[in-house]
Amino acid sequence: MNLISCQHISKRFGEKVALDDVSVEIPAGTIFGLLGPNGAGKTTLIRTINRIVVQDAGQVLFDGRPITREDVARIGYLPEERGLYRKMQVGEQAMYLAQLKGMSAADASAQLKKWFDKFGIASWWNKKVEELSKGMAQKVQFITTVVHRPSLLILDEPFSGFDPVNAQLIRNEILALKEQGATILLSTHNMESVEQLCDNIALINRSHVVISGGVDEIRRRYGSHQLQLTYSLTASREASEAAQASEAVPASGTEGLKDCPGVFELVSDEPAEGADGVAVSSGPAPLRRAVLRPLADNASVLRALLDGGVNVVSFSETVARMNDIFIKLVKE
Amino acid sequence: MNLHIIRVIIGREYLNKVRKKSFLVITFLVPVLFAAVTLLPALIMRFAKEERKTVAVVDRSGVVMPCLQDNELAAYSDASVTGADSLKFSLVSSDSDVLLVITPIETSSLPGDGASSDALPGAALFDVKAETYSPKPIGADLQASMEAQIRQAVRQQRIASYDIDHLDAIIGSVQSDVTIKAYTIDADGKERVSESTVYMLVSMLLGMLVYLFITLFSGGVMSSVIEEKASRVVEVLVSSVKATELMFGKIIGVALVALTQFFLWMVLTAVLLTASVGILGKDALSAGDLAAPAGMDVRSLPSMPASDVLPSEVTDLIATLSSMPWGEIILCFLLFFLFGYLLYASLFAAIGSAVENEADTQQLQIPVTIPLLLGFFIAIAAYKVPDSPLVFWGSMIPFTSPIVMLARLPFGVPLWEILLSIGLLVLTFLLCAWMSARIYKVGILMFGRKSSFRDLWKWLRMR
Repeated sequence: MNLISCQHISKRFGEKVALDDVSVEIPAGTIFGLLGPNGAGKTTLIRTINRIVVQDAGQVLFDGRPITREDVARIGYLPEERGLYRKMQVGEQAMYLAQLKGMSAADASAQLKKWFDKFGIASWWNKKVEELSKGMAQKVQFITTVVHRPSLLILDEPFSGFDPVNAQLIRNEILALKEQGATILLSTHNMESVEQLCDNIALINRSHVVISGGVDEIRRRYGSHQLQLTYSLTASREASEAAQASEAVPASGTEGLKDCPGVFELVSDEPAEGADGVAVSSGPAPLRRAVLRPLADNASVLRALLDGGVNVVSFSETVARMNDIFIKLVKE
Repeated sequence: MNLHIIRVIIGREYLNKVRKKSFLVITFLVPVLFAAVTLLPALIMRFAKEERKTVAVVDRSGVVMPCLQDNELAAYSDASVTGADSLKFSLVSSDSDVLLVITPIETSSLPGDGASSDALPGAALFDVKAETYSPKPIGADLQASMEAQIRQAVRQQRIASYDIDHLDAIIGSVQSDVTIKAYTIDADGKERVSESTVYMLVSMLLGMLVYLFITLFSGGVMSSVIEEKASRVVEVLVSSVKATELMFGKIIGVALVALTQFFLWMVLTAVLLTASVGILGKDALSAGDLAAPAGMDVRSLPSMPASDVLPSEVTDLIATLSSMPWGEIILCFLLFFLFGYLLYASLFAAIGSAVENEADTQQLQIPVTIPLLLGFFIAIAAYKVPDSPLVFWGSMIPFTSPIVMLARLPFGVPLWEILLSIGLLVLTFLLCAWMSARIYKVGILMFGRKSSFRDLWKWLRMR
């Protein structure tokens, strides 16, 4: 079931096309990453879902039916450009924003107190916003975004302005809200958090959706699937003998790996070096690091290596990083 | 339109503005200032009498000294024997504060051509010159008092020189003092006293007051819009409520602030005036003090037969004031202020939505402030020609009508004109509010650029 379904949305501002036939499906109860370079149309899409701007064509479905004004009360929106009334007191302001979302004064007060206690900022209630630091104001704003228990949370760069401790706090809250059934639309340039948090993504570039789908699937599809292998150079005598007897000779003791037809191709093979350029050694034997492109499944590759007498220290699949996929797709 | 939400917006706007220190200061200070301006001259006249000065008089004319009478300002002593020059040297150490020197009488022939000078017997004109010397400058009151008495002395001398019996009485009897006492009559032929000065003052006051109110509070709406845009809080707001709800909630909230201030002012002014009249006694507001607020004590000028005229003037003033249709004026004030404010506030809201700080509003404001100023200038001139075409059209054209109509009001305006003017105003407000809402909706989300009229026009046509 999709909580939000954007169907063929187009929007232009004067001459400038902001969105061109954009379709995005956001499944309920998941975290959805909205990616794209600056000016690609992300904010316009978010504002369309929020009903801040009205699309020229296409429609937005909320819970399966066209979105209405009333649904907006079930959305919590944290814009990229944060803003609170500087001269207003924190508590009063949070009350105001909560009531604009349709909460009663009593409900808003109770919920806000709970959140303020949870974030350890209850003592800020009577402070003016201009007395708070930027990070402190961000915390308040996060609370005002989630206090009315929205079904859909739209978070635009939610971690910017937070120190690592508070960023972790926010990350945990986002996951907790997801646990409680909220759907989260996360727009960010921080690809690491996309990998950590998102179930699905859509990448928008120049007003078009370039790619969308599950994060794992996309990483597999768009990353070149490779294996990383660390092995020690000095093979055991028995292994060498076994290797000479074996048909599949992937490696010879001291010269490094070779291609193994039908199983893998060698991409690179070099002495393993630490970050400081000093050769990493484990015991007496020097280590080498190789990157393989598998031609069969991972298990066959590993079996071939072991059969070939390679002294495997570590063996892992490297999935392409979102960062690389982003750069690759946007540059094309 | 979600009424609950609009109420929340109005409430914030209202409380936020009402709790500001500036609101409290203005609300409580203005009536105090107003009462002070009204009462202070009277109070000053009452309590700020100077200590009586002693004046040494060297009268070389021989006619002035007998006419100088001691009053509360000065006591005169004849020092003609000592002589002016020696007194000048010893003035600082002597008992006298002021030295008054009168020159000998000069006789000159009357001005005019030869023919008419023959017509007057004893054709000579007496004159004296007077000088004062004092260690400290003398006050205006004392100077006026001395001048009046010396003039009186010269006048007597001149009258005597004609050697005509009872000339003084004759001159007194030929001088007339005709003033127009104006009445207005309505359709039923009922008369009302109408003192044009009072009408002028009330007319200017109403025009200025409504101009100030409209400028002040619609400017407040603009600042509030800019504040929300500059602090970027607006994006969160419009994700919860419609932009138009936000705009009208704001405008209504500020309108309520204005009405609150207006009523507080009325109440406070009334309380202060009543209280001060009670404390000072009724005579603090009596004829002399009211008629001469600039600081001239009318009664000290003997040449003016003051005591006869003033009481009737005051009666007329009170009669004129009480004959004005105050209920109608207050109702019209509220209506014209309200719709004038709504019209200008919606325009100012649209302008505020296009900029990110107050400094950038200069250029965009011009087309809105010009009609406002025009209305103001027509209004403060309206008392001279309340029925001229300029004033009539000024009170009909919606952008100036709230101000000009109020200035016309004391002079009586036919009901149909008032209704037509309000009707036009309301229609214009609705049209401008609709346009402003469209501009506002787009403008508040436009960041990082300086908007021009071309942009506003583009936004107006945007879907």
